[in-house]
Parts: sequence; C-alpha cells; structure tokens
Amino acid sequence: MKKECIAMLLAGGQGSRLYVLTENMAKPAVPFGGKFRIIDFPLSNCTNAGIDTVGVLTQYRPLELNSYIGSGQPWDLDRDDGGVHILPPYQSATGASWYKGTANAIYQNIGFVDMYDPEYVVVLSGDHIYKMDYSDMVAAHKKAGAACTIAVMEVPWSEASRFGIMSVDGEDNITEFAEKPKEPKSNLASMGIYVFTWSKMREFLIADENNPDSENDFGKNIIPAMLGAGEKMIAYRFAGYWKDVGTLDSLWDANMDMLATGSGLNLFEREWPIYGRSTSAPPAFLGKNSATHHSVVTRGCVVEGAAENSVLSENSVIEEGAEVQYSILMPGAVVKAGAKVAYAVIGEDVVIGENAKIGSIPDGAEGWGITVVGPETKVPDNYELKANHMLSKTMKEVVR
Amino acid sequence: MNGLHGIIFSYEKEPGLRELIEHRMPASIPFGGRYRIIDFMLSNMQNAGITDVGIVLHGNYQSLLDHVGNGKTWDMSRKYGGLRILPPFADNRKYGGDGFRGKMEALAGVRSYLEQIRQDYVVLADSDLIINIDLDEVYDAHIASGADITCVCTANYKKTEDATFCVLGEDNKVAKTLINPKKPEGYHCLEIYILSKELLLRLVDECEAEDKFSFRRDVLNAMGDKLDIRAYVFGGLAAQIRTVKEYYDRSMDMLQPRVYRELSTAARPIRAKEDDETPTYIAPDSTCVNSLIADGCEIAGDVENCVVFPGVKVAKGATVKNSVLFKGVTVEENAVVSYVIADKGVTIRRGGKLAGHESYPMAISKGSTI
Repeated sequence: MKKECIAMLLAGGQGSRLYVLTENMAKPAVPFGGKFRIIDFPLSNCTNAGIDTVGVLTQYRPLELNSYIGSGQPWDLDRDDGGVHILPPYQSATGASWYKGTANAIYQNIGFVDMYDPEYVVVLSGDHIYKMDYSDMVAAHKKAGAACTIAVMEVPWSEASRFGIMSVDGEDNITEFAEKPKEPKSNLASMGIYVFTWSKMREFLIADENNPDSENDFGKNIIPAMLGAGEKMIAYRFAGYWKDVGTLDSLWDANMDMLATGSGLNLFEREWPIYGRSTSAPPAFLGKNSATHHSVVTRGCVVEGAAENSVLSENSVIEEGAEVQYSILMPGAVVKAGAKVAYAVIGEDVVIGENAKIGSIPDGAEGWGITVVGPETKVPDNYELKANHMLSKTMKEVVR
Repeated sequence: MNGLHGIIFSYEKEPGLRELIEHRMPASIPFGGRYRIIDFMLSNMQNAGITDVGIVLHGNYQSLLDHVGNGKTWDMSRKYGGLRILPPFADNRKYGGDGFRGKMEALAGVRSYLEQIRQDYVVLADSDLIINIDLDEVYDAHIASGADITCVCTANYKKTEDATFCVLGEDNKVAKTLINPKKPEGYHCLEIYILSKELLLRLVDECEAEDKFSFRRDVLNAMGDKLDIRAYVFGGLAAQIRTVKEYYDRSMDMLQPRVYRELSTAARPIRAKEDDETPTYIAPDSTCVNSLIADGCEIAGDVENCVVFPGVKVAKGATVKNSVLFKGVTVEENAVVSYVIADKGVTIRRGGKLAGHESYPMAISKGSTI
C-alpha cells in the first residue's frame, strides 16, 4: 500500500572502531544506557514520529541484530501494512553482491521502496544516540520543495574538520558540501540523517550505480552529485542532544551523559519514549551493604558492593566488597567480590574475577584511557588490566 | 504439545485486602516491584509448556483485563488456543449474578468452554498465589501415581486467611480435608489441582445436579472415599495473599536474597507486562539499601527495606523505610514514611510524616495526596 514516507536504516556497518565490542555483532546491536541497544534510538524515533515502515539494511554479523528486532513488536512496528523489515544483501538472477556502500545498499532495495511507492524516504544510521522528530524534518522538506534535506547541527569550529560540513545561504539552502575539510567554511555538521524525495533519489541512485568510479556512498557521491546537478537541497537545523557512538570513547561518554543532567540526554521524560526489547528479569536488588551513588540500575541488577558514576545494565552483578566507578557494565556482566573496576567498559556476560583490578582513575599520566573488556571474557581472579588496555574473550590483551 | 490445560480463578473478593482491592481484583494487585500476582501463575503455566489458559472472572476485573491483554506477555496470543478470558454469563445466565459461591459453580458457568478443551488434563489454580513451581513435574507425578486428583500442598505454612489443609495418609493420599480450621493440621493445600478433563466435566455435572459449589468441601472432602486424591508436596516458597498483612509480610520476604532468587530463577522466569521504563537513577547523596527497585525511578532520598515499583520518585531529604511504593508514587522532600503500602500515584507531600506499624501496615488508596 502507498505510504507518504518510509525510513531506511543503515545498520550494516561493522563498527570496527568499537573493536572487541563488535567482534560478534553489528554496531547498532551494541548495548547502551542500561537496557537499550543503539538501534532503539532511530527505531523509537521512527515510531514516535509516525513512520510505520522501516527497512533495516544489515550486512555485518546480523544474527544478534535480527533476533533483537524480531517482529518489531517492542517498537510497535509489527504491522500488517508496513512495519520493520530486515533487508540483507541477496542473490539475484544476474549474480550476488554485498552492499558496496551506503547508497548501493539502498539501490539494491529499490524494489522494496517501490513496493510502498513513497513520496519521501528518510535515511538513517544505526550508530547515533539522539531523540528527533523526523516528521518535523519531513515537513520542512515538503515546505521547501527540496529534493534532499540534510539534518545539521552546529559544532565548535575547532572540531568542524572532523565532520561533513555544509555551507548554506541565508535561507539554509546548501551551497557547498565538504567531507572532513582541513579549512572548514562553516560549522554546520551533517548528522547523517537525510530526507529525500523518492523520485529524485531513485534517479540519482541509478546514475551512481552506473558510474564505475563511484564508491556508492551518500556523503561522498550522492550528495555531491545532487549539488552538482543543481537540485534544491536544504539544511535542517537540529539543536538537541546528538552523539555518534562509533568509538569506544564516545560510547563511554554518551553513557555517562545519561547521568549528567546538563548533557541534554534525558531518557526520563515521557514525551518521546525510547523503546527496547527487554528481558523478564525482576527489579534491581540493592543489598544491605550496597553503596550505589549517581548511577543507573535496571532490572536484574544485583548490587551488594559499591557503584559510583556508573551505568549498570540488565542482570549485571556487583558482589560484596567490589567497587565500580565511572564504568559501564553491559548486560549480564559480573564483578566478583573484592574486584575494582574504574573508567571501563565491561562487555556482555563478562565475569571479572575476585580481587581483579580493571582500569584506573585518570592520573594525568601519558597513555591513560578507557579500559575495555570484550563480551564473554572470563577475567581470572587477581588479574590486573591497566588503563587504556583492551582484553578479549581469547584473553588477548592489547593497548588500545 | 503439552497435555495440560490451565484454568485460573479470579472471582474471590477477599475483603481482608481492603484498600488494595478498591480498584482491582486480588489477581491484579501489584507485587514484588514489577509483577501483578496473577503473573506468577500465568508464568508457571507458560514455563510448563501450557499454551491454552482460561481465566474465570467475576468482580471489578477491568484492571486485570488491562494487564493480561491478549496474553502476548506469556506467549499466549495464539491463532489456536492461547489465553481466553471467561467473564460471568459467558455461557448462560444461571450463575454469577452475585458472584460465584465456589469453584464448582464457577466451572459450571463455563461448561461449554470446558467441553472444548483440547487437552486431556486440566490444572486448576487460584490467582492469589505467589509461587514459582514446575507444573510439568506436578503433571508427571499425577500421571505416574495414577491418582484421580493431585493437589499441591506444602509443609511450610504461613498464616493465611481461609486456608485449606490436607491430612495425608499412606502414599500421600489425602485422608482428610480441613477448611479454615482453628488449628492447622497436616499440610497447607495451595489449591492447585490436576485432574483429567473427563473427570472434571463429570464432577461439574454431579455437583451442579446437587447444588454443590465448593471444590474443597464437595469434592476433596466429600468424595475422598470414591476418588483417589493425592498430594504433591511442594518444597519451595508459596504464599496465598488474602489480607493486607499477608501482602505486606510476603512483600518484605522478597527482600531476602533466598526468596528473591527462588522466585526469579532464570530457569523459570516470571514474566510481567512490559513497562517500557528507562533505567532507574540513584542520586549522589542518596542511600538505597536492602530494597527492590524497579525501572524508571528517581531516588534522591534514603530508601531502606522497601519494594519500589516503576516510576517512583523519592526526593532529596525524604526517608522511606519498610514500605511498598506502587507505580508512580511521589515522596516529596523531607517526608518520612515507614510501614506504608502506597497505592498507584500516591503523593506524600513535603515534610509529611506517615507511619504504620509492622503489625498493622498502613495501606493508602490509589491516587491519594497526603
């Protein structure tokens, strides 16, 4: 059935800069904020914005992500007409190919989009933490009569060279686009969120596919091609909380932002809820001697020890005498008695042995950084993992 | 497919639950920080592989309907079978005008439903029971013993209103059934029964013909000679919730790690309707100890020995001890609360002092501001 607007969510990336955390799962499936996964943010934004049809483009290690999304019921996206669809690469009569780039992923699914014959397509990534009303952005796109609208936010000038930067005229028409410019002409950074008029997008996707020199990427190829062709492209300014959690440091930061009222990441307000598939664990249990301060806890947590400035996910356990500071315990992580964890990201189902010492408080020394333990690692008793080190399931220890 | 069909009764009024049942049936009283009491029996059935369950209703059951919905939470939203709600007058207008006098009458009221049961055996259970029991094992024991009726009993009696007791003879045969005796004797009967569909239908018809309505009096006690009735002795935790005091004591029991672990064993999880709450935030200067805390709370004050449901706010300087706070309760700054059961949406204003006693916990009606 015809839809005015559908969303395509790019969730195929490996997220190699999350290292051990994405060894066995795609980045959008990485746990966030105690009981969410990164992909809950764009999916919840879609359902809250009234977009009931979402294609999720998967490629790298899709098992975890597929089973997490399931029928889409937690996001109210289990629909007879529309709903959430997982779109992996597929084989066709003329051969099979992986998704070569973000634009190619959508090119290969033109048939899926055509099925809904939409006026507009919202293109999203699966690695951002933010709350945004896409329907407002689509309205701005319609009003301007644009072929493409790109969400942008002002970033400090000093950081502008890390982003895709848009130059605009007085009416926020995009005049120039530069990917990670050395000398930025503007401080409006692309958030990787696009609204396209489907008929236009379709044309440019086909032309791009026919260009053998193209990398088939939205930022590198489609956007410059559309600008070059003189299409109307506008910037949509966004001022709320938004963070790309593509690196270990930014993932840790964004989790800590949950605890900081000034950060702008408010998951408590009920106007724009974030949904997730959650487990059926009982409420958190804080024991007789627990000392939990400035932290978030959730179902299934058992805290007998101390937690400070930390995010404790579903079914994580801190035994008596253990201390966790400025850290993230992902679902099912267990910190045994007497162990100390500081400034660390502890992966899913990790066990930190008794009296082990993981990470340390910043001491100003050269080479300090967040410590990371990969999913399912069993850290032996008394083990010491220094700051800025990373340990994987196979007990391979590396400096980040 | 499992050969068991589940029937859950939710018609008893239990006046001893006072404020807690002003707006709901005992089955949908919140318990343990995120459950409703009926979640335990529905999950027990789900964990035993039971797919078809009927809930026999009477009374103010709107809150229960809102909670169980289509049964999706327990995987009972099925194309065939699944969860069926059986309201009064479902079948005929003969029974249920003033509520059901007993289980046999309630069953007679849904006789056509009973006839259509696809399974050969039926488990009957109440909805006021807190328990995590492997019903599949009870079923196996029933088949192995060749008994006509198996009833689940426990040796660990906790004081319960209107309790039933079974005195057991050889091979756990029920020798005598005592109904609400002054002096407990034998085993506490948890009123979970397994019997064949065929026998159930026969008993319903026999009782109806003689205007008999009570399962424990007219079947367990009266037919002890004719039927082979045996007990399955359950060694775990079990409690029927029939008064405010029982509710309070069992809630406080949940704070014992042994109880918490047994009821929430990962092997047989208890499922509750999803609340879609964010995690709970515990502020820097708060003390939060020996408590169960659900999601979506903001705890800035001191909380000790409490069961806290989703979305509760305890402001800075407030102290809450030995209490149960239902969903959305707000305790404002410097309020002091102890031995209280605060129902949904209760607000305790700034500086307010509210104290019940261990022997008589204070229950506060839904939505009150104090």
